[in-house]
Amino acid sequence: MNLTRRDFLVGSAAVAAGASVSAPFFLPRHHVDRRPKRSRLAILHVEQYSQKIDEILAAGLRLFRIDVRAKRVVIKPNLVDYAPGDAINTHPLLVLAAAESFRRMGAKSVVVAEGPGHQRDTQLVLSQSGYDEYLQEEKIRFVDLNRDELIRTPLCASYTSMKYLWLPRTVLEADFLVSMPKIKTHHWSGVTLSMKNMFGVVPGTRYGWPKNILHWKGIQESILDICATVPVHFVIADGIVAMEGNGPLNGTSRRLCKILLADDPIAADTTSAHLMGLDPGRIVHIREGAKFIGNTAASLIDQVGESVVLPRVSFQVVPEFEHLRGHDSF
Amino acid sequence: MPTVTTDAIVLSDLLAEITLRQLPCGGWAALACSAQPAIEPSCYCTLALSSAVSTSRAERAFEFLLQSQNRNGSWPAFAGDDQEGAWVTALAVMTLRDLPAAIPARLKGFEWLMNFAGRESNWLWKWKFRTADRHVRFDPEKFGWPWIPDSVSWVVPTSFALLALKQLPCSCSGFEQAPFRIELGIEMLLDRACPGGGWNAGNGVVYGTPLAPHPDDTAIALLALTDHRQESVVQNGLQYLEHVAADLNAPWSLAWAILALAAHDQDTKLLQQRLACMPDLQAIEDTSTLALALLALDQERALLDLGVK
Repeated sequence: MNLTRRDFLVGSAAVAAGASVSAPFFLPRHHVDRRPKRSRLAILHVEQYSQKIDEILAAGLRLFRIDVRAKRVVIKPNLVDYAPGDAINTHPLLVLAAAESFRRMGAKSVVVAEGPGHQRDTQLVLSQSGYDEYLQEEKIRFVDLNRDELIRTPLCASYTSMKYLWLPRTVLEADFLVSMPKIKTHHWSGVTLSMKNMFGVVPGTRYGWPKNILHWKGIQESILDICATVPVHFVIADGIVAMEGNGPLNGTSRRLCKILLADDPIAADTTSAHLMGLDPGRIVHIREGAKFIGNTAASLIDQVGESVVLPRVSFQVVPEFEHLRGHDSF
Repeated sequence: MPTVTTDAIVLSDLLAEITLRQLPCGGWAALACSAQPAIEPSCYCTLALSSAVSTSRAERAFEFLLQSQNRNGSWPAFAGDDQEGAWVTALAVMTLRDLPAAIPARLKGFEWLMNFAGRESNWLWKWKFRTADRHVRFDPEKFGWPWIPDSVSWVVPTSFALLALKQLPCSCSGFEQAPFRIELGIEMLLDRACPGGGWNAGNGVVYGTPLAPHPDDTAIALLALTDHRQESVVQNGLQYLEHVAADLNAPWSLAWAILALAAHDQDTKLLQQRLACMPDLQAIEDTSTLALALLALDQERALLDLGVK
């Protein structure tokens, strides 16, 4: 068999891609520094999904100095696919409560926007996950980010070899972008939290279902490039029922009974990882993102609400991410 | 129970809405609120319009598609997109089937499709998937078509490429490899089915766990496999789709299910009636769904356009 130069290059890339689960980045590859001087974070205890979430969330948001008056608020939940149970998608009651809160706080507009990564039929996911009914009842607009108008957007970091992405207008024009992840483990990226949740802004009509190009360019690297380019202004993470094991779709539900609020996605994901009993310092996109997106050091995070309690048993992960479990560095 | 007359009213309402959404350039945007023409909705709308309304609108639609073609023979996902091409090329060459003036453009499109393949067509990537990267169960020897260049094969783009290549009049003059690509694509679809029947995007088993099928992906795969109905994988897919279609409440998936079940000679009258009865069908924001609903209610013509019947 003849080995051409192209084959050699392709093969080298293949080997590199296979070895990229947690390789460190030796040189910074970001062109922005969005780290706030201090970050603020709150952990709220919530037993179950009920109408009371509205009050709990509103009280939690009052712990922050949020000004959304006359702003376009875009809420980005994690709406992947539908299967019975509460462990895959951000619960619609929490999303609804967030939308209501931002409306009450004077937002010019509030839309819920998502581009499901596995299902092409967004309407089917919306109706089967219960979103459709709630959104219609409360007259909250939903934008399918897989099919929104696209704008060629230069990336503000170069962890992947991509110079730009085509990104949805709705997200780019948001004045206040809220990432609302489900707290889950993920078989390709270790965890899927507020940063990984931003994969959903990458449009399927342009990049396909699943958004496979991001996997080929490196998942950790793609997360960093996207989060450098599309700033998340606030995080509301759904950890009332979380997921462990073979996430994001086929893991096991696990009750954490927590909602986490933060004005910094790195602080949010660092703390979520601690709540899962995983070491954020070993999660590549969190560790690297702490250099330019947000704060991971406890001394720079003002924590209100409950304090972090490490679980007695860390979240189960697939074997490739076993090294994330069982830390004691918080 | 709706009647044939009701269906005719629904068809006419849908047609009026699609006509209304046509952009000045002749194409359609993905969403009603958008003005950015995209190829996928434009193809479905053109198919829905082409034999139903005045020729001037259809002509503008064909003209838009012809002018959108990239120099390399492919089509972009939307107007203004990069020029390297996308999976919608298969849809565009099918949509232009009955237009004599489009023959050169279609031939260029077919050529591009013949050279467009999943990364696992390269022996080194096959080796990677056989040795270092085995969490997704699939046979890398069997490859089809990706969504965009430089990624691996998936069920939907492979199915559309198969439907398009089957419209090639012969496998001569530069298309000698077409039967080989078609055969390999069919094998790839059969290999990527979910263990319980049906298809999702293309990951049947991940980390040893069987994943659930999706109705629309299953329907599109079944449309590409109408000549292989004796295969047990196809039979399992049909069973899954028949079962799930009975309760589908989303028009996109229901429309695809109707087309696929009809292509496999199943009675779809009740499903069509349910689709026609869905409230505010013409208010659906997603224009592709609107056009597909119309095609599903006019399934005989739609299947002819797709080259299935």
